[in-house]
Amino acid sequence: MKVENLWKTFKIPHEKRTTLFETMTGFFRPSEYETFTVLKEINFAVEDGECVGIIGDNGSGKSTLLKVIANILRPTRGRVDIQGRVTPFLELGVGFQPDLSARENIGVYATIMGLSNGEIRNKIDDIIDFADLRKFEDAKLKNLSSGMQVRLAFSTAIQTDPDILLVDEVLAVGDIEFQQKCFDVFNRYKEEGVTTVFVSHDMASVRRFCDKTLLLRHGEQVVFGDTNRVIDEYIYKSEETSVEEERVEERETRWGNRKIEIIEVKFFDKNGKENNNFISGDPMTVRIFYHSHERIESPIFGIVFYCQDTYCYGTTTDFRGCNTGSIYGRGYVDFMVDRLPFLGEKFEVTVAISDSDYKTQYDWHDRLYSFNVHNPTRELGIFSIYCRWRVWKDG
Amino acid sequence: MFTPSHLRELWGYRNLIGKLAWSDFKLRYKNSVLGFFWTLLEPLLMLLVLYVVFSHLMRIQVEYYQLFLLLGIVLWNFLARGTTMSIFGIIGKPSLVQKVYFPRDILIISACVTALMMTLLELLVFAVFMVIFKVVPSAAILYSPLIFLLLFVMVLGLSLGLSALNVYFRDVQFIWNVVLQAGFFATPILYPITIFPDNLQRVVMLNPMARIISMLRDCTLYRRAPLPEDMGYVILSAVFILLVGYLIFDRLEPKFAEEI
Repeated sequence: MKVENLWKTFKIPHEKRTTLFETMTGFFRPSEYETFTVLKEINFAVEDGECVGIIGDNGSGKSTLLKVIANILRPTRGRVDIQGRVTPFLELGVGFQPDLSARENIGVYATIMGLSNGEIRNKIDDIIDFADLRKFEDAKLKNLSSGMQVRLAFSTAIQTDPDILLVDEVLAVGDIEFQQKCFDVFNRYKEEGVTTVFVSHDMASVRRFCDKTLLLRHGEQVVFGDTNRVIDEYIYKSEETSVEEERVEERETRWGNRKIEIIEVKFFDKNGKENNNFISGDPMTVRIFYHSHERIESPIFGIVFYCQDTYCYGTTTDFRGCNTGSIYGRGYVDFMVDRLPFLGEKFEVTVAISDSDYKTQYDWHDRLYSFNVHNPTRELGIFSIYCRWRVWKDG
Repeated sequence: MFTPSHLRELWGYRNLIGKLAWSDFKLRYKNSVLGFFWTLLEPLLMLLVLYVVFSHLMRIQVEYYQLFLLLGIVLWNFLARGTTMSIFGIIGKPSLVQKVYFPRDILIISACVTALMMTLLELLVFAVFMVIFKVVPSAAILYSPLIFLLLFVMVLGLSLGLSALNVYFRDVQFIWNVVLQAGFFATPILYPITIFPDNLQRVVMLNPMARIISMLRDCTLYRRAPLPEDMGYVILSAVFILLVGYLIFDRLEPKFAEEI
């Protein structure tokens, strides 16, 4: 599969004319519209049997690209070369009719997904069993719960035998068990040598499945290549930080007598670049800029990490045996982490300065700062314990 | 368009056409008590009303007027139903257009096939009536499948063009409705063409639907083979309509997913 020099622009009219009447009356008045370029000059090639991920922020054109590959949208310029049968998984249960029975819907949906009548006859019982809907096979679809409908659609969709599979992130919804089922199926497809293009926000699954990854930013192709390298690029080179500012809370967020003020707090990544996105296990530095209005002996700098409302970890210069000495004027203190133990996802940070015996607070910034952590592993929880497993067997 | 590769692609999707048409057909009667009987009952009730009105009040003298009327209604219904269902064939199924790809004309072809299924049931009733009224057809009846096929081609052509236009201009559906209403009375369905003077007859016969209906009546009820000139005219117009319809559809199809 090859994508060559692909452009896609949409025309968004200011005032949409949807009737003949409007078109005729507006014929001599040129219609005004904005052109909006969604994809600019995309070039990449996917070898047979490869799994390629497409990542990028919301609105970067990922789904549009997938639709162009699926031939649902046509490119404005450029072309997509595809050899083989393409099956798009953009939405489950396309064409489901609520008034038909589960069994009849399987028939229609499987045909839409490209199964022949013979295949459907052979597989329909498997599909019903896999979806665990034996009891409801003759019930009308509208009488099934939405979970059942998704199961039905999913078990039908995975019976297809595509050469090229296009998967949108919508599949990532659902409970853990369902997601695990999805992953199993994609693994099976991968082993069978099905070429897959996978759009996702979930870096962990992209890392798990994709040999190569394409990074889009504002519709432009930033980089295409080895997955780990591209994800690094995405997380560490984001132009804007994606941590939302939520300063609307009523709670008091700052107190202290401000003899020493905290001017600013910045986070730096392993490349020494300012960033709010980190990969678990990588180095991180928190830099606290202060301004001391009078000479103060050995103030204590402290830092606390929260994940949602859980107090994760707190330490001070004092606890770690760092004497700050006499401080006056401006400067900064670095809190350096060699391997970030947190797994995900959003962490809030409290930074504070107090006097040498914790009696007076000079400046306390309560959970004013935050950063994101991306988990490259499949481990669960808030933080990772650096550990190993070993198996002993008797005899 | 009619490239061999497109036709081959359509052939590859024949199952899909069948499944979509059949599920639509079933859906139509799913929640009604009388089910399929509605397709039969509907034209019969209409026949009853029109028969009473036209044979008694207006004193139209035609041999087998009931059958004459029934066939006209059934054929016109096919045109009306096929095109009306197709007009919503694209805009009524956004997920099939926006979330998955297959050649979009399949949606229209399958809508026309659904209409065809309904009409075939009605034609069955017509056949039963022929037996009841003891109409003995001649060999001319063998022309009827061919003529009906031409009608199907014409309906398909109209449907393709109208459904594609309706994606961009939503009032096409209303305009077409008015055209159908007017057409019902402007086509010799309720009355024989002979009620018009000669020069007006020629104008009415410009409408291919008028020729199709009268040819089918002739070869089923009146043991007359179709005239070559009628046949030629209908073949040419059916092919022309299909071509124009396909051209419009083909031209507008690439942006369907964006415009819906």
